[in-house]
Amino acid sequence: MEDRFSQQLKKGVLEMLVLDLICSSPTYGYELLSQLKDISQGMFALKEGTLYPILYRLEDDGLIQARWSQGEGRSAPKKFYEATPAGHTENNRRKQIWQEFQETVGHFLDGGRKL
Amino acid sequence: MTQAEKKMKRYVNAIERRLNLPLEVKARVMSDFGSSIAARREAGQTDEEIYAELGDPKKVAAELNEQMQEFAYRKSPWRFAFAVLGIYFGIKLLGIVYVLIFAAAMAIYANMPNMASSVGVIGGADGPTAIFVTTSTNWLTFLLEVGLTAVVVGLCIWGYRRLCKCKKK
Repeated sequence: MEDRFSQQLKKGVLEMLVLDLICSSPTYGYELLSQLKDISQGMFALKEGTLYPILYRLEDDGLIQARWSQGEGRSAPKKFYEATPAGHTENNRRKQIWQEFQETVGHFLDGGRKL
Repeated sequence: MTQAEKKMKRYVNAIERRLNLPLEVKARVMSDFGSSIAARREAGQTDEEIYAELGDPKKVAAELNEQMQEFAYRKSPWRFAFAVLGIYFGIKLLGIVYVLIFAAAMAIYANMPNMASSVGVIGGADGPTAIFVTTSTNWLTFLLEVGLTAVVVGLCIWGYRRLCKCKKK
């Protein structure tokens, strides 16, 4: 399953999924990892080493920002990520691109290539 | 520090040591690992589970280094030229400061009247002062030399740091 083709595909989609998850609610790194794994039923089971570069790229592009949560009770303060207004805009744009992409590719694979 | 905290620190440090990344990026990675470990603990994982899932620090660091090449700083080979120059002028500056301190000490020593009369060392100890006074013909040029050397050393340090810090983009 982990051939070059599926790896490349995943890599391209991952940044979109991470941004979308953060846009839907502010979240911790670990939460992102488990959400990605659960929602994709194991297809996007990542390690920290793969997730962090994505987060830093999004942060450097101004789409998300990191903040520290105050530890409640005995819990330690943790870093969490939330989307900026620019991030929400960009997320909508990316989802639209994905929609068009998916429709076009689907059309192709359904045999509509003579169109 | 509890046993668990020590273990976490050791794990995070083991990763940090192997990262080829600028300090501020390292700090980012480390704070995220710390958060991740805390979150896993709160989710009910045991330490064994946490570190098994995070993986061997060597492998984790190698993966991060590979994935984060765009965050790495390219180190220019020219930085060695700055390092060598900096060390050369640094030694020179140290030499000048040493002579200066020695001369000042001698001058103070010689000016103490009762010491000078009671101790016969003065004649011999006065030697370096004499050398110092005769070699530096002029106080102004001497100070100028000290200042210039200090500036050169400063420039070398600045240049070295700069060349280590040009971001690959």
